[in-house]
Amino acid sequence: MTGRISRRRFLRTTGMGTVGLALGPAILTSGCTKKKAARRTLRLLQWSHFVPRYDKWFDPYCKKWGEEHNVDVIVDHISLSDLRSTFASEVAAGRGHDLIEFIDPPSDFEPSVLDLSDLNQEAVKRFGAQLPATTKSSYNPFTKKYYGFCHGWTIDPGDYRKSLWEKVGMPDGPRTWEDLLVYSARIKSQLGVQNGIGISQELDSNMAERALLWSFDTGTQDEGEQVILDNPKTVEAVKYMTELYQKTLTPEVFSWNPASNNQLLIAGKASYILNSISAYRSAQKDVPEIAKDVFFTPALKGPRGSGWACQHVIYVSVIPTFAKANADLAKQFLLDLCANYDRAMWESELYASPSFFNAPVPEGDRGYTRVEGAKILRDVFNAWFANDPYALPGEAKGKLLPLQDAEKWSANVGHPGPASPAEGEIFGTFVLPNMFARVAQGKQSAEESVKQAAAECRKIFDKWRAQGLVGGKG
Amino acid sequence: MATVEFRGVTKNFGQVKATDGVDLAIKDGELLVLLGPSGSGKSTLMRLCAGLEQPTSGTIAIDGVVVNDVSPRERGIAMVFQSYALYPHKTVFDNIAFPLTVEHMAKEDIRKKVEWAAGLFGIGRLLDRMPSQLSGGERQRVAIARALVRRPRVLLMDEPLSNLDAKERHYARGELKKFQRGIGVTTIYVTHDQVEAMGLGDRIAVLCEGRLRQVGTPEEIYDRPADIFVAGFIGIPPMNFIEREGRIAGFRPEVFRPLELVQGDELMRLRYRIERVENLGGYRVAYGVVDGTPILAKLPHRYPVTEGEEHDFAVSIRDIHFFHKDTGLRIEG
Amino acid sequence: MKTKRLLDRDEVLGPLCLLPVVIYMALFIGFPFVMSFVYSISNVTIGNPHYRIVGLQNFIAIVEDPVFRKSLVNTCIFTFVSISIVIVLGHILAELLRREFRGKWVVRFLVMLPWTAPIALGAIGFLWFLDSVFSPIDWLLRTWGLLGSPDSLFGAQSNLYWLGRPELAMTSVILVHVWRILPLAAVILLAGMNAIPREIIEAAQVDGAGYFRRLFHIILPLLFPVIGVTILFATFFTFTDMTVVWILTKGGPPPNSTQVLASLAFLKGIAGGDLAQAAAVALFFFPVLAGIAAIVLRLVKKAVVT
Repeated sequence: MTGRISRRRFLRTTGMGTVGLALGPAILTSGCTKKKAARRTLRLLQWSHFVPRYDKWFDPYCKKWGEEHNVDVIVDHISLSDLRSTFASEVAAGRGHDLIEFIDPPSDFEPSVLDLSDLNQEAVKRFGAQLPATTKSSYNPFTKKYYGFCHGWTIDPGDYRKSLWEKVGMPDGPRTWEDLLVYSARIKSQLGVQNGIGISQELDSNMAERALLWSFDTGTQDEGEQVILDNPKTVEAVKYMTELYQKTLTPEVFSWNPASNNQLLIAGKASYILNSISAYRSAQKDVPEIAKDVFFTPALKGPRGSGWACQHVIYVSVIPTFAKANADLAKQFLLDLCANYDRAMWESELYASPSFFNAPVPEGDRGYTRVEGAKILRDVFNAWFANDPYALPGEAKGKLLPLQDAEKWSANVGHPGPASPAEGEIFGTFVLPNMFARVAQGKQSAEESVKQAAAECRKIFDKWRAQGLVGGKG
Repeated sequence: MATVEFRGVTKNFGQVKATDGVDLAIKDGELLVLLGPSGSGKSTLMRLCAGLEQPTSGTIAIDGVVVNDVSPRERGIAMVFQSYALYPHKTVFDNIAFPLTVEHMAKEDIRKKVEWAAGLFGIGRLLDRMPSQLSGGERQRVAIARALVRRPRVLLMDEPLSNLDAKERHYARGELKKFQRGIGVTTIYVTHDQVEAMGLGDRIAVLCEGRLRQVGTPEEIYDRPADIFVAGFIGIPPMNFIEREGRIAGFRPEVFRPLELVQGDELMRLRYRIERVENLGGYRVAYGVVDGTPILAKLPHRYPVTEGEEHDFAVSIRDIHFFHKDTGLRIEG
Repeated sequence: MKTKRLLDRDEVLGPLCLLPVVIYMALFIGFPFVMSFVYSISNVTIGNPHYRIVGLQNFIAIVEDPVFRKSLVNTCIFTFVSISIVIVLGHILAELLRREFRGKWVVRFLVMLPWTAPIALGAIGFLWFLDSVFSPIDWLLRTWGLLGSPDSLFGAQSNLYWLGRPELAMTSVILVHVWRILPLAAVILLAGMNAIPREIIEAAQVDGAGYFRRLFHIILPLLFPVIGVTILFATFFTFTDMTVVWILTKGGPPPNSTQVLASLAFLKGIAGGDLAQAAAVALFFFPVLAGIAAIVLRLVKKAVVT
């Protein structure tokens, strides 16, 4: 691992060199490989989980799994921000880990990873239907290839401070984007607390802006991977955001990083944010009084009644082509992980939700108080979201209830189409936050900004079409 | 032209006293040499006069006006540095012109003055060169031209000849004296070289450890040294000292001669054992001992001596300087 | 015996001593450079190292890209302004460090601090300093009544939003970068100043030149080679740097207000997956920096010769 870390650091710090150096390690490290003949080794690479408890469960789980299958399982956790560059250098080097778990669809790695159609079919056979949004984050309909396997995802609800919303007469939080505008404007003018939707070059803003577009019945692409961004509904959404900015936000939202909205909600300096429940979970431990004031809403509805949120995290595992020799082990590992997903949900403190809701709940001691009569994950999920097992004593009951049907209003990046390298680059280079920001800052009209963003999107789509990875026509 | 007066000037660098209560008056148009070994405070005294250092106590007056709080540029002084300190990025012309440009003089006037100064030192043909293209002697002349171009009240020179080779130096010394006389500028000249001092100075001020030991004409300094230090510092080879009747008797090697060659009524006779003889071309120096004290003698031309032999030598009493055994001060009479 | 004699020969020992440098340069400079060149005319992506050569289309694409043009302008502003400030402040600092005064060690310690602390640590400190809500600078300004009430100098809003407003964000990034490379510049300039013979400066003083005349007519011209090299280093360091930008703003606030070429290359290549265009962006440095290097070195050489 040492070699890889230093290389990674080198890549990261040089920045520039990243590009040119990607192939370097192939030469530097080839010839250092030693094959173990007797016992096989399965090497996993994934992020250090936001919920530390999850990794504390996952690592021993892997060890135990390895013992049961006579395999050494090595799990390397690295920082989320290093995941892509690390895997890129492994791909360039042609060696590295056998199973890499991303938390966003790694669709641009498709040429370098195995087609997992068989695994996906087997999973459906064993566990029943997969959530469509998760399929769309692991399957490329244009090449008809499963480049990944999606075992879970994370809900991205609205989080709000009830005490603030009570004071303006909406104790259950907003239900529509219109509510958000009207009432958080009141909260700002009457209570001096702003809204917490970011327009910054970072993850949460990216997700919020997508949720807004979808709720306004628009988006970057359609189901056929055709760019449809430049339409009047996008302009409408951009104008809405501009008004939201003017009435409920400050220039602060342009400077946000992924931690900002959490911090501000907890600090009582934001009335409403879009985020997973993890901020709430940490508040339960650190500042229980404030956690008790945090409540959740499902996706807000747009002017025509659509309401969508962006899946906050989407767990997609890939098996690189170079790891073909261990593919059988990796696939077995993923199937077993799905079979144990009740534990994944439990140990992630309900941060992770399953892709296969109909998977059976295993018998025996599961490390938590069994849910009476629960046969499939859906039953467990419903029970826990109706009555949060991690709720603090004295905390309001049923806080997570609004999230029970989250899969109905949670969409993948690229919705209503599939995830793709083009969608990934639009996400990664912050085309949408920039589109909204230009107008909010008064630098461009909504129409111009949308047109510019659409042009950028088209270029990106065309480029990846030329790579043969994206469908639709240029 | 101007006078310069140091009154009780002390300069401390931390614990070290670079100059210690120096009182010294330089006359109008005079060339005064500050002479002393390194570390004697002579350069410090000059830098104090230039305003590059501030005295810890005491005053410095130019033309009777105390200049302690006057900046170097307003003192009307000019200085020639040991390294010449020519501006390496400027031509000879611009180097000489620099003090004038600072005064915002008209271009035409600057040209005239520079050409005058250059002509004075015979460097007119070098005006377009860069300092790096000049010989040591040429640089020195540029430096002096630059110092004089603005007609300073006082000219300060810090060992200006030390970077020249022996031959150049000899020649330059004469030239320097001639210019100084010609222009008549009050000049303070710092050196550790007594030959330079004797040859150039109207008067010499001898410094040691920050204190002024003696001020006087070269003759006075040589003939009537004020104390043992001055006596030993001036003269080549240095003066001999021997203890006699509770006093220190000093006599120069050139008056310590074989008995038969010494004239006069009162003689001090000494038994001199010669251990080594150095032939220095024009004369020979004998290294020997009298009663265990090392003594030098400048031997007369062709006088036959052999190393290892003892001879009867003598000094005329008139040629002996007596110094106080404890204070080292000269005893008159 | 034979080896020893062989090593005694200059024509053997010389190349042998140079070998590590040559290998290092080939491996870590030459190879990546050639690779980025090849990448920039290819269609390589992060997920597909098997590429084919596609000619100049990546360069055409980036030149047409408004984000690239913006980043280029940002990079030039970032570099030019930082370097100008660094040269002026570096000079003042070097001047300060040359003098003797009470508490000099404190100043020296503070000056060297950005060096001894890892940049990430320092920048994270600044992240707090410049925070949109918790910034202690804003807090001070509010305390002094310069911010947060209708008649305040900096406006009625409660915060300045250092990293949220495009101009302030650029200012912040520049200032943090200046903080970062100032010690280097000051030390180089200090060395340069110490190399100027004291007598030359004193000569100018005695010749009647005041501080500014000495500075502009004597010291700066003599320092020119050193300043030139400092500018060269600092420019390279700044033009190709993304650390400060990355930690403070990630190229934001939107729309790409502090995006520089280095961070754009990283975004395009790693986050966006398009290694080929990223290489083209990165390679864009090369002619620019080579040009600057050539000009500066030429001027410096001229200054040294005369």
